[in-house]
Amino acid sequence: MPSLITTPPERAGADPRPELAIHEGRVLLTGSRCGDCGYPQAVNPPRCPICGSHGMVPATFGPKGTVFSSTVLRIPVPDRTPPFTLAYVDVDEGPRILAHVDGPDEALVPGSEVVLSGWSEHGDPVVRRSGP
Amino acid sequence: MTGAGTAIWGVGTSAFGKQTSLGGPRLAWQATVEALDDAGLQASDIDAVYAGTVFGDPGTVTRCLQQIGIVEVPVITIENACASGTSAFHEARESVEIGRYERVLAFGIETMTAHFDGAISPIASDPDGAQGYAMPSIYGMSATRYKYEFGVTDEQMAEVAVKNRRHAMGNPRAQHHKTVTVEQVLGSRMVADPITLFQCCSIADAAAAAVIGPLGGSRDPRGEVTIRSSALRSGRLWDHTTDKVWGWDIVADTAAQAYEAAGVSVEDINVFEVHDAFTIGEIITTEALGICELGEGGRLVESGHTSLGGLQPVNPSGGLLSRGHPLGATGLAQIAEIAWQLRGMAADRQVPGARLGAVETMGGGTAGIDGNACVVTVLEQVG
Repeated sequence: MPSLITTPPERAGADPRPELAIHEGRVLLTGSRCGDCGYPQAVNPPRCPICGSHGMVPATFGPKGTVFSSTVLRIPVPDRTPPFTLAYVDVDEGPRILAHVDGPDEALVPGSEVVLSGWSEHGDPVVRRSGP
Repeated sequence: MTGAGTAIWGVGTSAFGKQTSLGGPRLAWQATVEALDDAGLQASDIDAVYAGTVFGDPGTVTRCLQQIGIVEVPVITIENACASGTSAFHEARESVEIGRYERVLAFGIETMTAHFDGAISPIASDPDGAQGYAMPSIYGMSATRYKYEFGVTDEQMAEVAVKNRRHAMGNPRAQHHKTVTVEQVLGSRMVADPITLFQCCSIADAAAAAVIGPLGGSRDPRGEVTIRSSALRSGRLWDHTTDKVWGWDIVADTAAQAYEAAGVSVEDINVFEVHDAFTIGEIITTEALGICELGEGGRLVESGHTSLGGLQPVNPSGGLLSRGHPLGATGLAQIAEIAWQLRGMAADRQVPGARLGAVETMGGGTAGIDGNACVVTVLEQVG
């Protein structure tokens, strides 16, 4: 993980990646929460996929989260230099997202606590370990 | 003919391997002509084609089939990631079951070496793929989780590759014909921690086909294989509410639907071909199919239960780990293997007396859902 960027990068409209934003100095995940059933998502669609409500409300989540699982990808993929560490993170009170991990090239143990930290040089969301 | 049952009348495949110079049509001709000959049909007897391909150029299927005389019929191409071939099979079977067509070709093809040097490139329009999330990483994630949650060991995962490569020694059409040891598997290059290279399927070029028609309607009904059931579905949302690894529930849900429709339970099934794109995938799938309990898949492969000679062999063909994984062709190669097994034609890899078999294929690559598609079909030899 060569460099961590802490100011929001320019983002193309069709960029499908989870979108982070800085609020009062904290990096948060943007998305929506269903006003009826409370289901959180990293996107803001017109209907809730769980209850069908039209009442999705814009929301932010984090900055803390818990690792569901993690791996280090060590094969080349276009536009990125291996190895890099990835994790599925259950953002507190929010959705599960994929993020890059700032730190050594080691998979995080499931259950590890992480915090949303910023962006990779490619604009990917980045987390780093924050606790046990 | 409506609802009286459907059967596989014939199957065929090309060899599986990196065979760029052959090109799509020649691979297709090998598979399709073998399937037609097996069914005792001419190309002009085919009423419709359902085909699976993922990376093929526009027109791939018609381009492959026209010169052997499959023309002037509906040709429907389906993309369902790794389950494209079995999705085509599912729809072909359904079209016969409801009486829409009588003699249908289910066909699958992929010429992957024309598109990739190594792993499939991540999908840039996907929330995960846009982060460089290549397919091995999702299985690396599952393996990390299984080690943490259930104590699955690296050796148990390696044992899947050892078993399937051993099985492939009896399959002349497989890409890999060399046994490997646990030490060799674990000593191979790390791809996506903790998954090593020999735990990943290779890319491949191949085609596979099956002819499907009404049960009892073929020239030699004793050679038919009954399709007891086939189920196809996309996954549930895969989100923060689940502790299951990706792909577990979709296989379990699809299998439950297929078993119920066939009126069988998992204990009745003698032989399985399942989606072992990566070693941990077979461990997860054997659990989700109900061959063992959740978390017991590592111990299951270690026990020998799923080896040739065991009670319920899994992937007697050598699976994707030995054939390679040409996405569109894979599912129909699995179908062909179970058809050969049930007809007693599997030679050195034959499961003695197999009467009931199952095929499972699961395709992914879409963030946030527990699989793009899964197909489970139950096949029976009644002749």
